[in-house]
Amino acid sequence: MVDVLVVVQKEADASELLTIAKKVGEPVALTYGNSEIEKLTKYFNKVYRIKEDDPNSIFFAIKTLYEKLNPKLVVGMSSKNLKDAYSRLAGIYDLPLATDIFDFNVSGSKVTYKRSFLSGRAIETEEVTMPLLLLVSPRKTQKSEGNSNGSIEELSIGNSSNVVIKERKEKVKGGVNLEAAEFIISVGRGFKNKDDLKLAFDLAELAGAQIGCSRPIAADLKWLTEDHWVGLSGKKVAPKVYLMFGISGAPQHLAGITDAKTVIAVNNDKTAPIFKNADYGIVADLYQFIPILTKKLKERH
Amino acid sequence: MSTLGDIVVLIKPALNPEMIRSLPDGGVDFDNIPLKLSDIDRNAIEEANRLKELLKGKIYSITISTWGPIAKRDKDIKMAIQEGLAKGVDEAILLEDDSITPGDQITTASAIVSILNKFNIKPDIILTGEATIDGFSGQVAGRVAAKLNLPYISFARKIDLNGNKVIAERDLEDYVEVVETQLPAVISVTREINSPKPPTLIQIRMASKKPQHVVKLSDLTNVAMPKKKLAEAKVLSVKRKQTMIEGKSLEEVADKLIEILEQEGVLKH
Ligand SMILES: Cc1cc2nc3c(=O)[nH]c(=O)nc-3n(C[C@H](O)[C@H](O)[C@H](O)COP(=O)(O)OP(=O)(O)OC[C@H]3O[C@@H](n4cnc5c(N)ncnc54)[C@H](O)[C@@H]3O)c2cc1C
Ligand SMILES: Nc1ncnc2c1ncn2[C@@H]1O[C@H](COP(=O)(O)O)[C@@H](O)[C@H]1O
Repeated sequence: MVDVLVVVQKEADASELLTIAKKVGEPVALTYGNSEIEKLTKYFNKVYRIKEDDPNSIFFAIKTLYEKLNPKLVVGMSSKNLKDAYSRLAGIYDLPLATDIFDFNVSGSKVTYKRSFLSGRAIETEEVTMPLLLLVSPRKTQKSEGNSNGSIEELSIGNSSNVVIKERKEKVKGGVNLEAAEFIISVGRGFKNKDDLKLAFDLAELAGAQIGCSRPIAADLKWLTEDHWVGLSGKKVAPKVYLMFGISGAPQHLAGITDAKTVIAVNNDKTAPIFKNADYGIVADLYQFIPILTKKLKERH
Repeated sequence: MSTLGDIVVLIKPALNPEMIRSLPDGGVDFDNIPLKLSDIDRNAIEEANRLKELLKGKIYSITISTWGPIAKRDKDIKMAIQEGLAKGVDEAILLEDDSITPGDQITTASAIVSILNKFNIKPDIILTGEATIDGFSGQVAGRVAAKLNLPYISFARKIDLNGNKVIAERDLEDYVEVVETQLPAVISVTREINSPKPPTLIQIRMASKKPQHVVKLSDLTNVAMPKKKLAEAKVLSVKRKQTMIEGKSLEEVADKLIEILEQEGVLKH
């Protein structure tokens, strides 16, 4: 009897997903593409594998296992490809599906979980009856130790994919890892030219900070690569200090920094909404202020 | 293969997060948050216009109202639909019914399919946003595709047509994937696909002359009832100190800031 189907590639995700699965019952796993399969066998008694890693194939595999095993819960870590794959299975069987959830709880066949709502401005609690599909927000669930010694079974889905992959282009990265950064200096539309970002980069280098940015800087202007992008549709960060220059404080940007410990904003408009959402505010022109701050930090060394 | 070249764009009047209101107990004051056309659906409409020039068919919009009570929301809902019509939608279909509010994606997807059947619309492309600004769930497009047994391309940031083929760029976390499929297909778009502009006054005036159909649940068949219950919604209150750092000169302000950074332990020594 299988209660939970866990769709997973990485050990770090498996350790969190197992915590959720155990609240419901006995799990098995499905893994796909280039995965840490040997490590996954520590967490599950059975790991099904497909070689493919496109959403269409993942969907076929989940569907095959769902129909065979009849689990109460199909769970995975939120990602774009899994949102794609899960939504299709949910559509076929009219199953409830929730994405980016945390705080999962079970009582009988009733399930509750929380998720961000209204572009990050609220938290909702939803109540659903199993069976259901869930995609979990990473790093919000306690980890479980794995002590299984599971077997691996190749799953053949007889690829009938109607979407053909022509090419995959790796995204250019700026070499930042904002999720792990303790100190982030973030830049917004207050900068007038791409070259001016040097002000912030020099400061960041001196201070040992990583550079983040608002959406327009990465998406519209493309001055920085997407790994710098913070917010609702960018990275969710949790540094000790988030120091921002020339960012207005739109709710979609704030959605990325709710877990930051101390938020500091520099903006030349004293009515900028960011000042209501910062621990410390400085009304200043960034073009005047950053060089002074940089000079002072240099002197300190 | 359908050859009419019609396009369907799915558009949702969503709760406007910028206008969030809180009840005294911190709960979300749903009744006093207005609806607006979900931002990313604007990109879907814009893309529909571009593709229409190649496909030469009509653009239909379909809307399932999910927030009630309808009597109170009707004006906002119609405004969102009007915006679609002003921006190039030729004909709009709306399901309004208090018995399915607050709705969920199960109801929404099944109602969309039911409307396609009722109005006998067989589009070449169904366009959606990647997610809505209220629920941000990113699942309605995949549900609709699966129900109609159509190919689904999610998170498209670029779409090209070549005869009966669609070539699209999917924008994923670590890579961009170029994919190809046959029409008809369902495609969800990201905000990066284009830059829609607000409608002009003339466009808005023209819009009111375009056909709009409002249907009720009783006009449709096979619409699934909502299964998810919104048990609670709390306004997120991240309390920040809101202290202004001031000084006689920017030098003094910089010193104070450095002191704070030191206290927080983020400066290397
Ligand atoms: C669905 C959706 C998702 C989104 N996702 C994100 C997201 O993930 N991340 C994100 O950031 N945004 C996101 N946005 C966009 C968001 O709504 C804002 O448009 C964006 O955050 C604004 O960026 P900004 O603050 O850099 O620019 P602006 O709002 O233009 O602000 C610039 C600020 O700089 C200040 N300024 C100007 N000159 C100076 C100077 N010389 N010195 C100091 N200050 C100066 C101005 O006073 C102003 O406050 C999203 C929007 C939508 C609809
Ligand atoms: N109630 C609705 N009516 C019409 N289209 C919708 C509705 N809900 C969602 N959609 C479409 O599906 C997309 C994704 O929505 P969601 O899955 O709810 O995040 C939206 O951008 C719309 O294009």
